[in-house]
Amino acid sequence: MSIVRPINWNAVEDPVDLDVWNRLTANFWIPEKVPISNDIQSWASLKEHERTLTMRVFTGLTLLDTIQGTVGSMSIMPDARTPHEEAVITNIAFMESVHAKSYSSVFSTLCSTDNIEEAFRWSEENENLQNKARIILDYYRGDDPLKRKVASTLLESFLFYSGFYLPMHWSSRAKLTNTADLIRLIIRDEAVHGYYIGYKYQLALAEQSQERQEELKEYTYDLLMELYNNECKYSADLYDEIGLTEDVKKFLQYNGNKALMNLGYDPLFPKETAEVNPAILSALAPDANENHDFFSGSGSSYVIGKHESTTDDDWNF
Amino acid sequence: MDKNYSYHELNAMLNLYGPDGKIQFDKDKEAAKHYFLDHVNLNTVFFHSLEEKLEYLVENEYYDTDVLDQYGLDFVKSLFKQAYEYKFRFPTFLGAFKFYTSYALKTFDGERYLERFEDRVCMNALMLARGDKKLAQDLIDEIVSGRFQPATPTFLNAGKRQRGEFVSCFLLRIEDNMESISRGINSSLQLSKRGGGVALNLTNLREAGAPIKKIENQSSGVLPVMKLLEDSFSYANQLGARQGAGAVYLNAHHPDIMQFLDTKRENADEKVRIKTLSLGVVVPDITLELAKNNEDMYLFSPYDVERIYGVPMSDISVTEKYQEMVDNPDIRKKKMKARLLFETIAELQFESGYPYIVFEDTVNEANPVEGRINMSNLCSEILQVNTPTTYKTDLSYDKIGKDISCNLGSLNIAKVMESPDFGKTVEVAIKALTSVADLSYIESVMSVAEGNKKSRAIGLGQMNLHGYFGKERMHYGDEESLDFTNIYFYTILFHALKASNKMAKYTGSPFDNFENSKYATGEFFNKYTEQEWKPATKKVAKIFANSSVDIPTQEDWERLKKSVMKHGIYNQNLQAVPPTGSISYINNSTSSIHPIASKVEIRKEGKLGRVYYPAPYLTNDNLEYFEDAYEIGPDKIIDVYAAATQHVDQGLSLTLFFKDTATTRDVNRAQIYAWKKGIKTIYYIRIRQLALEGTSVEECVSCQL
Repeated sequence: MSIVRPINWNAVEDPVDLDVWNRLTANFWIPEKVPISNDIQSWASLKEHERTLTMRVFTGLTLLDTIQGTVGSMSIMPDARTPHEEAVITNIAFMESVHAKSYSSVFSTLCSTDNIEEAFRWSEENENLQNKARIILDYYRGDDPLKRKVASTLLESFLFYSGFYLPMHWSSRAKLTNTADLIRLIIRDEAVHGYYIGYKYQLALAEQSQERQEELKEYTYDLLMELYNNECKYSADLYDEIGLTEDVKKFLQYNGNKALMNLGYDPLFPKETAEVNPAILSALAPDANENHDFFSGSGSSYVIGKHESTTDDDWNF
Repeated sequence: MDKNYSYHELNAMLNLYGPDGKIQFDKDKEAAKHYFLDHVNLNTVFFHSLEEKLEYLVENEYYDTDVLDQYGLDFVKSLFKQAYEYKFRFPTFLGAFKFYTSYALKTFDGERYLERFEDRVCMNALMLARGDKKLAQDLIDEIVSGRFQPATPTFLNAGKRQRGEFVSCFLLRIEDNMESISRGINSSLQLSKRGGGVALNLTNLREAGAPIKKIENQSSGVLPVMKLLEDSFSYANQLGARQGAGAVYLNAHHPDIMQFLDTKRENADEKVRIKTLSLGVVVPDITLELAKNNEDMYLFSPYDVERIYGVPMSDISVTEKYQEMVDNPDIRKKKMKARLLFETIAELQFESGYPYIVFEDTVNEANPVEGRINMSNLCSEILQVNTPTTYKTDLSYDKIGKDISCNLGSLNIAKVMESPDFGKTVEVAIKALTSVADLSYIESVMSVAEGNKKSRAIGLGQMNLHGYFGKERMHYGDEESLDFTNIYFYTILFHALKASNKMAKYTGSPFDNFENSKYATGEFFNKYTEQEWKPATKKVAKIFANSSVDIPTQEDWERLKKSVMKHGIYNQNLQAVPPTGSISYINNSTSSIHPIASKVEIRKEGKLGRVYYPAPYLTNDNLEYFEDAYEIGPDKIIDVYAAATQHVDQGLSLTLFFKDTATTRDVNRAQIYAWKKGIKTIYYIRIRQLALEGTSVEECVSCQL
C-alpha cells in the first residue's frame, strides 16, 4: 500500500522548487489588473484586416493556453519528482487558465460578439492551428513522461511566440499598449514555466541510459522541426497579409533556440537567421525598469510583496 | 550588419549590447537622424518664408493672433531668427519622437507637422512674455539652450488657437455634503477636459455607516465617491490625447482608511476595485508615534468631528487634538493597530505602487503661509493651503473658498550651472511661470479661479540632477552630491524669492494674505540670516567657484529679508519639484532629482509605445557614476531629497526604489527614515523585479544587474 505524505515546505528537496514557487506566487495576477479599456481608441484606429489578424492571433493563443491549462500541465503532474514540484505544477496549470481567460477579457473589452465568434470559427477551421494542437495533444496523451515534458517545454517556450509577436509588434508602434502589458505578464509567466519544466526534464534525462538520451535528443529536434514547419505555415496564414511572416519566422527560430536551451540542448537555428527584429526583442525584456506615468495604464511591473512586520527597533526615533 | 533598420528598430538596439559588449549609443543617434530623414521632413508642411507660414497659421486658426499681435511682425521675425540661430538638434531619438508625437502643432487631420522645436519655443516665449520684448528674447535664450523648460500643459498649448489650459495641476476639497460631492465630480470633468491632473481630498466625507439626517447606518462612505471619480476621469480625455488622471487623498485617521487602501488589492472585487485613480494617505505625526509604541490608533468619524469642532476634519490637526478626540464620547471611533496601517500601506505599495504619503505635520510646520495643508496632488509635489466652498440649495456658490492650482516649469541643473547669469535664469523662469498664473482664470471651477487669483502660486522645479552628478563624476547620494544639492537649492531659493519680491515691488501687489505669512514677519529668513551656508567639500566649492553662480551670503539674505518684509512677494508659493516625465526627454535630462531607473530606460506611454532612452551624459566611459535607483537604494535617495527639501516651500515628488529582496518591513523602515529626515511626501514605491536566471533576454541593457 502506498503511503500518502503531507507536503512539507520546511524540507525542500530541490531548492529550485521553492525558488520557482516564490517567483510564481509573487508574479500572480489576474486580467482585471490591466486597464484594457484604455486600448479601445487604439483598437478603433487599427485597420479592418489588422483587427481581424489580432483576433485570430488571440484565439490561437487561447487554444494553446486551454490545452496547457487543462491537459498539458496536468499530464506532467504524475511524473513529479517531489511533492513541491506537484505544488508548482498546480500553480502553472492555474495560471494557464488565467491566461486563457485574459484573452477573453481582451475580446470582450475590444470586440463585438459576432467578430469574436468569427475569429473562433477561423481557429477551429484553420488546419495548421488544429494540426499544432493535435501534435502536442498526442504527446500529452502518450505514455512517455519525458516526451511529455519536451512537448510541454516546446509549447511554453516556442509555440506561443508566433502569437506573442503581434502584440509586441503593435506595442512597439504605440498600438494596444495595455494589451501588450497583459501579454507581457503572460510572457513573464511562460518564461518561468518553460524554464522550470525544461529544468525538470534535464534532471530526469541525466538518469537515463546513454542510448535513451540519444533517442530523446533526436526526438526533441525532430519534434521541434515538425512544429517549426507547421508554425511557418500557420504564421504565413496569419501574417502574409501584412507582410511580416519573414520577421515572425526569425522570432520563431530565436525562441526555438531558447526552448532547446531550456531543455539543455544546443541551438538548432544559426544565430544569423535567428536574428530577431530589435524592436520585438527589446519589447520582450522584463518590465522592471519600465517607466510609465498615471496617464499610461498600470504597466506590468508590480508584484505581490513579502510581508514582514516591523520591530520596535525599526521605530526607534 | 548592414540591414536597413527603421528608426524604431535602431532605437531598440540601444537596449541591446553591441558585439563589443558596449552600449550602442550611436544607434540611438542614428535613429534620431533617420526619424527626421524618413519621417519628420517628409511629413512637414513646407512654407517659403516665415511670413507666409505665420499668415497661414493665423488665417487657418492654428495660431492665436492675439499672442502675435502684442508684437510687431519685425520683432516676431527677429525672435524666430534668434531661436533658429542656436542650431538646436535633439540628442536622442525619444526626445525628437516625443516632441513630434505629443507637442508639435499638426494639421487638423493630424497628418502633417506644422512646427519645429524652435517654433514651439517662440510661441511659448511670445505668450509668456505678454508683450515684453526683452523678456521674450530672454525666454528664447533660456528655453532653446535647455536651461528652462515649461511644463507640458504650457509648452504644448502656448500660442495655439485650439488649446487646453496652461496649468498642470489642480487640487480640490470635497466637503461632507451632496452639493460639494457633485461639484467635485463636475469640476473633475471640467479640469480633465482642459488637461490638468486633479486631486481631491476625501477626508471630510462621513464614513460608511455614519448617519444621514440623524438616521443611523445610512452613509456608504468614501468608496462609491471614488468609483464615481474614477469613471469621470476615464470619460474625460483631452481630445483623445490622453486619459484624464486623478488622485484622492484620505487622512490615516478616517474610519474608511482600510477599505480605501484595499481598493488597490490585486484580488479586490470588481465593485470596489480602483484601477486608474491614484491614492494618497495623509499621515500625521501622532500615527507614527502610536506605531512606535505599538499602540492602537483611533479612527474618528468626520461627521462627528465636524459637529463637535465646527470645522471639517481636514482643517484640524489630528496630532494636536488626538487625545481630546479619543476622550470625547460624542465622537464615534474605531480602533486598529497603528503598525497594521503601515504594514498594509507597504503591502499595497508592492502590489500597486500606491498609496502616496503626505507627512502632514512636517508639511504644515514648514509652511510659511497662514492656513492648513491637508492634501497634495497627483504627483505629490504641490503643497498649498485651501479653504472650503459652500453652496446654496440651487447648487450655486454661497461662499467661494480657495482651491489650488499650480503651473510648473523646470530648470535643467546641468545647463543652469553653465548659465552665463544664474540669477537671471531663475528670474526669467519665475516670470514665465507667473505669467501663466496671471493669465489663468478657470471660470468653470470658481474656487480654483479665485484661489489662483489670490495666491498666484507657481512651482519652479528642477531636473537632470543625476545627469549632472554623472557629468561631474559624483556618485548619487555620496557626501559631495549632498553638499552640492544643499547649496544648489539654497541658491535657487534666494534667487526665486528675489525675483518674486521684485515683481511685488514693481506691481505693488504681494499675494493675498501676505501680511500673515512668515515672510512678512521675517521669521522665514532666520535660518538663512542666523547661520552661514556654504559648500562643505572642496569639490563642490570648486564647482561653484568655476561657475557664474554667486552663493548668497548672510548679508545678501539680510537685504532680501528687509525688502520682502517691506514689499512682499508676488507668489504665495514658488517651488515644487515635479517628477518631470515627458519634458525631461525633450530637454535631455534625467527626471526630476531622482536617480535614473536604468542606464537605458524603457519608456511606455499611451501615445508612444515602447521607446528606449539613454541617461543624459552617460557614455561607455563613465558607467560607474550611473548606478540605477535600485542599486542606490532608498536611504541615499532620501538623503538627497532631504538636502533639497529644506529649501523648497512646497514638495518634491520622491519615488523610492527597492530591490526584489525587499519586504514590507524594508518599505516601512524607509518611510520612517524619510519622516525622520524631514521628507514631506512620498510618491511611488517601485520594486525591481528581476527575471529569473535563465529566462531573461540575452544581452539586454535594461535588465542587467
